[in-house]
Amino acid sequence: MSDHVDGPRSIGDPAADLSDLFAFTSPESPARTVLAACVFPSAGEDAIFSNIINYSIAVRRVTVASVGNSAKFQPADDEIRFSFRFDVLKRDAAGKAIQRGVCTLPEGGELPLTVNDEKGASTPEGDIRVFAGLRSDPFYLAWDAGELKRLPNLLQHTNVLCIVVEFDTRRVLDPTKGSLFGAIAETVPPQQRSLIAPAIPRIDWIGRPEQTNIRLYNPALVGIDDLRDLWNQQTPFAIPKQLQPLFLQRLKDSLANWDMRDGKADWTPDALAANASVFLDDFLLFDVAKPINDESHLEIEKSTISGLPYQTGGGRTVDANSIDILLTWLVNRDREFLQGGATGATKPGIKVFPYFATPNTELQTVAESVELAATPDDVWSLIGQFGGAWHPLTARVNLTGAGIGQLRTVLTLDGQKIVERLEAVDDAKRVLRYSIVAGVGVSHYTGTLEVKLKGSGCVVDWRAQFLATDKTDRAVKVMVSTWFKTGLESLKPRFGAAA
Amino acid sequence: MTAFVELDHPGPSATDGEIAAINLESARRGAWARFAQDPSLPGVAEAIVDDERLALQFLGDLDALDRLDVLALQFARADGSSRAVLVRAEVASTAHRFDDARGYLARAAQMGAPREAIERQVLAIDQACGVKLDAVLAARREVATASGRLEDLVPLGSLLADLERFAEADTVYRRALSSYDDVSPFPLAWVCFQLGMLWGELVPEPDPNLAAIWYRRAVGYLPGYVKARVHLAEIYASQGRMGDAEALLLPALSSSDPEVNWRFADVLTAQGRFEQAERQLDTARSGFEQLLERHLLAFADHAAEFYAGSGNDHRRALELARTNVDNRPTRRAVEQADAIAMIADAA
Repeated sequence: MSDHVDGPRSIGDPAADLSDLFAFTSPESPARTVLAACVFPSAGEDAIFSNIINYSIAVRRVTVASVGNSAKFQPADDEIRFSFRFDVLKRDAAGKAIQRGVCTLPEGGELPLTVNDEKGASTPEGDIRVFAGLRSDPFYLAWDAGELKRLPNLLQHTNVLCIVVEFDTRRVLDPTKGSLFGAIAETVPPQQRSLIAPAIPRIDWIGRPEQTNIRLYNPALVGIDDLRDLWNQQTPFAIPKQLQPLFLQRLKDSLANWDMRDGKADWTPDALAANASVFLDDFLLFDVAKPINDESHLEIEKSTISGLPYQTGGGRTVDANSIDILLTWLVNRDREFLQGGATGATKPGIKVFPYFATPNTELQTVAESVELAATPDDVWSLIGQFGGAWHPLTARVNLTGAGIGQLRTVLTLDGQKIVERLEAVDDAKRVLRYSIVAGVGVSHYTGTLEVKLKGSGCVVDWRAQFLATDKTDRAVKVMVSTWFKTGLESLKPRFGAAA
Repeated sequence: MTAFVELDHPGPSATDGEIAAINLESARRGAWARFAQDPSLPGVAEAIVDDERLALQFLGDLDALDRLDVLALQFARADGSSRAVLVRAEVASTAHRFDDARGYLARAAQMGAPREAIERQVLAIDQACGVKLDAVLAARREVATASGRLEDLVPLGSLLADLERFAEADTVYRRALSSYDDVSPFPLAWVCFQLGMLWGELVPEPDPNLAAIWYRRAVGYLPGYVKARVHLAEIYASQGRMGDAEALLLPALSSSDPEVNWRFADVLTAQGRFEQAERQLDTARSGFEQLLERHLLAFADHAAEFYAGSGNDHRRALELARTNVDNRPTRRAVEQADAIAMIADAA
């Protein structure tokens, strides 16, 4: 995951665990820039910011110091910093818990805000606007990073806590002095807390996505030390000279491994070392004088390493496919795009402030199973047919199309018509996944039917997740559960119930 | 010189306990939703175990044990790897089904599960059962020395307390508190609770005032910490501070822990509110019996204490205390069974 749960320390308080950082041109105004950071990976419906963490996004002007195999981006010493602090919960008149906070602006002013207020808070001049609150996780990861195997989005339907800053680019960044910038975000605890050890300067920080979980802790490298906590303790823009060789060597080893994941060497040793060196300086590069779009992520780094002038503003938009852009670069140096098992997050970004989609509500879950006295293959040969009409409440099933994506229209005995789409099927593992297109008052429905060996027989698992739309959650759960149970029970007379 | 948290030091600051409890629930439900999406997702079943154990330990959410049983079953069906077997071991161990847990760990070893994961669980089980304590102590010391982290120091302190090395336990606990550099209040509340137990119940001559200080700190870090509220309320009640004890227990009544009803009944009885007390005792009794039906070994010791006291059924108490000794023959378990046997004989 981008920077999700990236070290033992950050697991302590999920609200201190940074997951992502973004920098892009405001979709509402080309004259404005948006910086955003997310914490609390895989949050549910009610996550809240810690009241003692300082959440910051900092930006420094950067110059291209060198190109090609000696590529180097040099950050300036001066910093533009936005810092968020949050209070303990208060109750409003109706007894509802609310959290307030304040954003400290680069020049020292403070902007009070209320968490989850979509309008956010603005300075009187309107040059800076901020938001903090729960949103749908914009990141999507659809790979098994250890084996480079495609998966469905591992973060489907999860939420994160976001802080968003939008500002007048000219007034805040003054691009006349240079339009290339590097951004980081960090979570800083109160200082001088530990009595027997130096205070930790920060719990987590992030520059480019996946510095920790993909590059420094490549899951395919066996027997390596986990450097993530040590990395998270370092000061952004200023990795100590004595630690640089340690991190640089790890990056080289990791990138060399990534290069060979497809069995082909796409990186020369010198280019690979240059790539590692660029990633060691971990800040999210963006150029406010050039276009930042969903494809421009990492283009500044890639062009510079290749000895070319960069063409875009790099950065990272809400909808940027950052994981696939990165993996493609690492594995085959952009020879062939590596598309993971998902093409988007649970919800795409929105075009208006605060640009991150509304949080997901909790999916309802139904799971039923039956144990049968038959081999898994025998049972699968019946129920593994997507067009099969084995369910006793089914009058007829019509198939449209073939393979993944085919539709089945189920006509039920009581006259309903349900349209379902085949999303995935694995006959070897005896599992199929489908969604509901129409006919039942649900959205985001994912059903899974699976047959597994158990003892001398098998177990059939049927589970589904969905959001009820037309009726209450309970009513739809009962309906789905009844459908599942009836179907599974009908298998007992055919195959025999397990003893 | 090492400076440890002293009583006049407020201790490390942490995220507000109400926020942390809400975020735990958020993470717990989020993890379950991901598990439902695909039970084999990397790390998700393990995250649920962690979250449910926190809910159980701190928030008095005893239904967590039922949810963990469901998790273990569903995960075993969905995942044929040693991960599922390790989770089954963890769940069994959480419910004090130590023989089951050892069986799962043996199976996990045969399946090639990571050695550290197995050894960590074996160590915890040996300590909980009071067996091979010299070896456990050596291992705990080694781990705690290497990491210096709170999560490794607290089990060492707990073991030292079991071995009646109370001063050393106190030092280790306070070192744990002093060394903490994270912001979650759960670990800090845990150490404070352990210090409260040490000085309030384990040392030969308990110091209730000192114990109360540590329990208050635990509740300060985590207002929803049910066990800390119960223990602090017991001290207040023993000092005749019935109003304070009642105020502590009232918010905890919404938990599913029958010990809250039991202690609340004692406070009501001491105030002469007998009808209310009887209702609370009935709730406690039925609560314990329901728990014993599902998780006998997890609650045998607490239920034995209840029946030996206000639950007023010495035969049941002795039966449960012996069940507990059979399951884990620790010094405390044997002492409890002996004490209850004496009460039963005298009755």
